[in-house]
Amino acid sequence: MLRFLNRLFRSRSPLGPEAIQSVFREHYRNFRSLLTANNNALELMAEAEEMLESGKPFGMAFVRGNLTALTVNVYKMVHSLVALADGRYAELHERFRIITEHIETILARQPEVSGSAFVLTMDEIDRRVVDQVGAKMANLGEIRNRIGLRVPDGFAITATATQHFMESSHLQDEIKRRLKILDIDDLEALYTVSSGIQDLIRAAPLTDDLDRLIRQHHERLERNAGRSVLVSLRSSALGEDSLHGSFAGQYRTRLKVDATAVAQAYKDIVASKYQSQAIVYRQQRGYRHQDVLMCVGCLAMVDAVVSGVSYSRPPDDPRGPWVVIHAAPGLGTQVVEGSSTYDMLRVSRDPPHDIGERRLADPKAEQACLSDDQIRELAQRSIQIESHFGSPQDIEWAIDASGALFILQSRPIGQVVPAPDDQREPAGRSVDQAPILAGGVTASRGVGAGEVYKVSCALDVLQFPKGAVLVVETPYPEWAVLMNRASAVVSESGQIATHLATVAREFGVPALFDLSGAFARLNKGQTVTVDATACRVYEGRAETLLQSVPHRPNLMEGSPIHRLLKEALALITPLHLTVPDSPYFKPSSCRTLHDITRFCHEKALAEMFNFGHRYGARDKSAKQLVVVNSPSQWWVINLEDGFRPEADLTTPFIRIDDIVSEPMLAIWKGMTAVPWEGPPPVSLRGLGSIIVQSAMNPQLDPAVRSPMSGRNYFLLSRSYCNLSVRLGYHFALAEASFSELLTESYVNFQFQGGAADERRRHRRVRMLGEMLREIDFRVDIKGDSLTARIEKRPVSYLRERLVVLGYLLIHTRQVDMVMDEDGFVGRYMDKIHADIRMIREQLIKETGETTGGTAAQHPAD
Amino acid sequence: MERPRNILLIDDEEDFLETTSRRLRRREFEVKTATRCAEAMPAVIAGWPQVVVLDVMLADTDGMECLRQIKQQAPRLPVVMLTGHASMQASLQGLEHGASDYCLKPIEFEELVEKIIIAYNDASGTQ
Repeated sequence: MLRFLNRLFRSRSPLGPEAIQSVFREHYRNFRSLLTANNNALELMAEAEEMLESGKPFGMAFVRGNLTALTVNVYKMVHSLVALADGRYAELHERFRIITEHIETILARQPEVSGSAFVLTMDEIDRRVVDQVGAKMANLGEIRNRIGLRVPDGFAITATATQHFMESSHLQDEIKRRLKILDIDDLEALYTVSSGIQDLIRAAPLTDDLDRLIRQHHERLERNAGRSVLVSLRSSALGEDSLHGSFAGQYRTRLKVDATAVAQAYKDIVASKYQSQAIVYRQQRGYRHQDVLMCVGCLAMVDAVVSGVSYSRPPDDPRGPWVVIHAAPGLGTQVVEGSSTYDMLRVSRDPPHDIGERRLADPKAEQACLSDDQIRELAQRSIQIESHFGSPQDIEWAIDASGALFILQSRPIGQVVPAPDDQREPAGRSVDQAPILAGGVTASRGVGAGEVYKVSCALDVLQFPKGAVLVVETPYPEWAVLMNRASAVVSESGQIATHLATVAREFGVPALFDLSGAFARLNKGQTVTVDATACRVYEGRAETLLQSVPHRPNLMEGSPIHRLLKEALALITPLHLTVPDSPYFKPSSCRTLHDITRFCHEKALAEMFNFGHRYGARDKSAKQLVVVNSPSQWWVINLEDGFRPEADLTTPFIRIDDIVSEPMLAIWKGMTAVPWEGPPPVSLRGLGSIIVQSAMNPQLDPAVRSPMSGRNYFLLSRSYCNLSVRLGYHFALAEASFSELLTESYVNFQFQGGAADERRRHRRVRMLGEMLREIDFRVDIKGDSLTARIEKRPVSYLRERLVVLGYLLIHTRQVDMVMDEDGFVGRYMDKIHADIRMIREQLIKETGETTGGTAAQHPAD
Repeated sequence: MERPRNILLIDDEEDFLETTSRRLRRREFEVKTATRCAEAMPAVIAGWPQVVVLDVMLADTDGMECLRQIKQQAPRLPVVMLTGHASMQASLQGLEHGASDYCLKPIEFEELVEKIIIAYNDASGTQ
């Protein structure tokens, strides 16, 4: 190495050889550091994009963690490049600062609360104050003040009031701290943190002004009624009850609260923001905890003789021409909590609202708990409310002793996963075996299988295994915490109006309710398939049914955290700097962090390439590769220790035997493993396309590409290799680093262009992408350009992939010309697959290693 | 890649210090630990550590202040910072003040070992 550098720089440089050597070493150190940071940054960007697309739940901890790590790596790249380039490109610091500040602004965004009132009365409430009172109360205000229907007298305690309460209690930091370290997959920790936070909130005192206001407004209700009034307190959180997430039953409701207990009930409901199922629900649906602000509705109790829920369209069939009504005597909570059965009525949407179906809770009862007139009135009101809000509604109501109908709540029917047409009929008919259970009602369509796990208390919840079938007697809202773990739900009782059914539908978990005998008949650990669509349960896994299961919806899409990450990624991942020769390829053009990494990587390579020239050793810096005594079309630049120390460096040539760069030798092995048979025979049509494209596409002229253009170069050291290559009419870049440290081990490949027309180039890139995926590369294709990466794998694993990559580099050139020839692609792919098999077998024979694909194993510590 | 020998861990979480130092010693590193910056400084002044792993939360002061003190005494000593609270701003501040790397807790032990080795090799090139 020393001898090489001495010779390399002797006599040409104003610096002495030792000084040059020191500068070179410093440059090379920065170069390696930049490569490692680039590798990390690309991996982090891919991870964030994948998370956005996957539909997997993620929280702010992921977003902050990913973006912080990304920022650190891009920062390092900028610093390394500026050091490597002796201070040039310093404008990158400013670009980096502007972009990261912009990202931080997005991350720090808080939900805005307008208005300053702590309490608003029912006649002050409509959609215009939704960000003060939450959607639930705003909708109720609309129903009273715009549609003119009867709702209970009452008032709303606003988001401003709750913010004031939380700020004055100084609990926010402590709550944040507890939630930040919480792993929601650890159910025991979840329950502990959840109850701890709720205790803190319940114990905190209300400020005097808020306490006084709540009391005064309750007294006003009593004055209006002329008697003492019991109230119900319900959560009406901001962000709750939108079309995106129903938040069904996630928060507490308190009924029959008297004057002395209103303040404490208010705190109970504020605290219920941190109930375990609500924490999990927010995480699953992509809400930050701070995105949900609690407002509380306080309404005079209706002395209900009958109450229930009506759906302006069937909740499991948004096109159905029915209003569905569920009714039970007394208070409505039993309907929504699933704790009792009730009458189910199906009523035509069209006047005069004929009653199509009556299913009574007690089949022996002579009539429903509602009269026909009441049923028709409910249907009419439901459609009236639907037409006001413009979407099918899920409405809670109550009727008092005088026969007056009160609307208690209305919200859009939760996101329904539409069943494909072929699943509308019972899927069970295609299964050979007889079901072990049949009946009940479809609470959420679909098919799921797993081991039975029965849950009847919180302790059972803690032990619930992922992927099991949840079997319960009653579908309580608390079990919603398991919706991210269960493959299906079976309940002995309950109807589609329950909160648990709503949440199951949102999460796309098949649910079969009201299946009598299920709790006793199904045994813990027994594997079953639940066909909730057809209301059947089968022993074992019914694979024919399971294969037709549609994908679960991307629950994160459109949620605050999803939107926030998407917005941040718009400043991170798009790549605008693609052509290094373009005048646009400069620091001031970097609009995203990806642009900065691309710029840094390209310029760092150029800096290393030009080092010899800048320090007066230009003619000695690149050597022509000699293979079997004849010079090839390949040039080699040794960055550090890529040549044998004994190699003769006095000539402009280097023999392949003198190269000790492991990644380069792996690529070379693949390039030369199978002789290239020359370009495939081109038809007249293919040739015509090439000539036209050659004439029209300036990028195909090798003379206009980067300082390295015109020749094919390897930049190398013993553990690193960067190959820039123009083969035929395309440009390819392969970069590999082998290291004992997984952080520094990767193969990166880029490929672009071709001589044929766009369609054929695209086909070629797709074919190449497919082959790279087969050997475990992560491939990204945009137009006719492809990037492929593998990182953090052991050296033996990367070496094998690099050999195959070398082979593909040579053998896929010019196939774009013949991509349209009949039968060619199939034959060519067969040959390539056979060659790759042969090469991999030969490698295994030589090294005795198999490269299964797992990361390196370290001894246990 | 050369491996450093002497590692100084500074963190207010005693569990983390205990577990990490035990695992590092099994990998044949020499390890000293401190929960407070003041407790760590004598070793820094004596030139003992080759790499410092520093949490942003300490028993006596914050990690950023401790980083400033370390860099004052030993400008080229590589410091890998750790935090349980990801923040872009804080991480950039750490790097501006001379930290070699800024990592998020929880961190896989293997990854931490790699960060230590990389920080050491990057820094040794500058000496």
